[in-house]
Amino acid sequence: MNVLIIEDEKALARELEIFLTNYNYICEVCYDGASASERVAVNLYDFILIDLGLPDYEGLDLLKEAKRSNPDAAYIILTARAEIYDRIKGLDMGADDYLAKPFSLLELQSRMQAITRRKFGLKNNVVELGDFLVNLTERTITHNNDNIAAITKKEFDLVAYLILNKNRTVTRNQLSEHIWGSIINDDYDSNYIDAHIKNIRKKLNTYAPADWLETVRGLGYKIRINH
Amino acid sequence: MKLRTKLTLFNTISKLVIVTLFVLLLPVLIKNINQNYTDNRLRKQKDKVLQTVKALGIKNYIQDGEGYAAYTPIKDAYVSLDEDSLIENLDTIYNEKRKVETDTIEYRILSHDFYVDKKKYLLEVGISLDSVNETTGPLQNIAFEILVGMIILTIIADQLYSNYVLGPLRLIIKTKLVGTKFPNFGSYKEVKTSTNDFQHLDISIHQMIQTIESTFLKEREFISNASHELMTPISILQSKIENMFEEEAIADELKVRLLEMQKILNRLKSITKTLLLISQIENDQFLKEDKITIGELLQEVYDEISIRLQDKNISYECIVTDDWCLVNVNKFLLFNLFFNLVNNAIKYNREDGKIRVEAVKENNNFVVKIIDTGVGIAPEDLPFIFNRFKKLKQSLQQDSFGLGLPIVKSIAEFHHITIEVESKKNVSSTFKLIFSTGLIGEY
Repeated sequence: MNVLIIEDEKALARELEIFLTNYNYICEVCYDGASASERVAVNLYDFILIDLGLPDYEGLDLLKEAKRSNPDAAYIILTARAEIYDRIKGLDMGADDYLAKPFSLLELQSRMQAITRRKFGLKNNVVELGDFLVNLTERTITHNNDNIAAITKKEFDLVAYLILNKNRTVTRNQLSEHIWGSIINDDYDSNYIDAHIKNIRKKLNTYAPADWLETVRGLGYKIRINH
Repeated sequence: MKLRTKLTLFNTISKLVIVTLFVLLLPVLIKNINQNYTDNRLRKQKDKVLQTVKALGIKNYIQDGEGYAAYTPIKDAYVSLDEDSLIENLDTIYNEKRKVETDTIEYRILSHDFYVDKKKYLLEVGISLDSVNETTGPLQNIAFEILVGMIILTIIADQLYSNYVLGPLRLIIKTKLVGTKFPNFGSYKEVKTSTNDFQHLDISIHQMIQTIESTFLKEREFISNASHELMTPISILQSKIENMFEEEAIADELKVRLLEMQKILNRLKSITKTLLLISQIENDQFLKEDKITIGELLQEVYDEISIRLQDKNISYECIVTDDWCLVNVNKFLLFNLFFNLVNNAIKYNREDGKIRVEAVKENNNFVVKIIDTGVGIAPEDLPFIFNRFKKLKQSLQQDSFGLGLPIVKSIAEFHHITIEVESKKNVSSTFKLIFSTGLIGEY
């Protein structure tokens, strides 16, 4: 898929490019609004990532302009301006999602994947994990048609995030940012991901072994899917 | 006590003291005046008699050595002339009792010796003291009444004038110093007064408020700008670490170190995000358009935070006796407010401790209490718990940077929620939130 990255902070644009290329996206980078404006007029993209704080262009104007030539693209706004007002304005104008800096690259990738599923209506939303079936649309985990109701919303979010990033080690930081990212609190070192994983394992193990949920020592967790 | 009250009190008391002093002195004064007046009368009488003697001769009064004495009919005054055989010369005025027929009457008596034809005579002129004192009473009364009247008049005049002259001061205090929000930014209105001191005071207060305001705004702006500016480098660093982490060529032990770096970066990120949040709240950059029942809100907080109770095996109880609907609030912020309070209740609790969250109506106030069985807060620390980056002794072993309660405070202020804290060291702490009626609505 083609991605246009519009970001004036060159170092950050470069990291985005490396990361997304790694995930098999084809990336183009623009460092200012003027060149981005030219680029969207000529090419078609699947994803356009716009930084709102461009030096030469009002980010929201660029979004409007790009929408005319690239109506089918998915737009994600990246900004350090976390003001609610911008957020509403951006989404009203047809942005598909919004990420406040600093964000985790993994989070960006998951959002892009979620948009892809939505936009292209991927039906295959049931994932087989050992003896379990995880339905990402209905948000259920079943074992022999038996719904495991004990799994909480948070726990499901964790499993779903690991599935989205299957076969990769997801760090505790990344998991924690995904499920608690919007909460502003006073802790900098607490990590309750382990407690959640422990609970998930306990709940699943009463039905069948959940050895697909692996602990990567010292680093994080991984869901292994072998097909 | 107000200045005006003090002045009035002082005026009244000082005047009362003067009145009392005067009333105490009045009899003595009047008596003195009376006596002087009487003595003058006696002397005039004496001069008259002596003149008569000079003109008409002593024989006019005394014939054949017989003494002369004349009384008024009611015996309140008399004149007597007689030969005097004593050697010394008398010329005095004194009080003495005299027996006149059956009555004993006290007289003020002038005695004067004089010579006619080498013979010594004694003249006595007397006025009864009763008749002298008759005028004393009425005089005293009149003096007293006039005095009281004048004092009342001056008190009223003092009162009116001090009221008038202190008016501007009252206005300065009312409009500039007390009120819902001090210091009152932005709206300077000159207080009209001809008293220089008050003009000076008014202008000084205005200048002070201006200085505070500009410092305040500068601080806000600085925090907002600084945290914004920090976001981009943090963002770049985070992306770099994440990308390195993805690289297969990097060994696991290096990845562990990358994670440690990430952790430290997270700390920086948390502080920056929190400061930015506080500055956004203070700059009114959040909307207050949400509606949620307190029960729902507390449930959402519990859902997020319940995992943290496990570590210390803390029991959590949430009692919503009166569920009410919050209107004109920002749900995201209120969620964070409660999250931080409950999070603190967990962090500073003991093993197997308890947390009790109550939503109740207390004397027409909508109140949420968060009660823990934790380490508590020392009384001397209580005034500082809402200060940014303030770390109390008990929080040193926690992974806190001292911004939890400042978040709570700015969110509460933004919503006009009052916070009251009660704590007993090593027993418990209670955070009580009182919601203003403007936040309560129909569902």
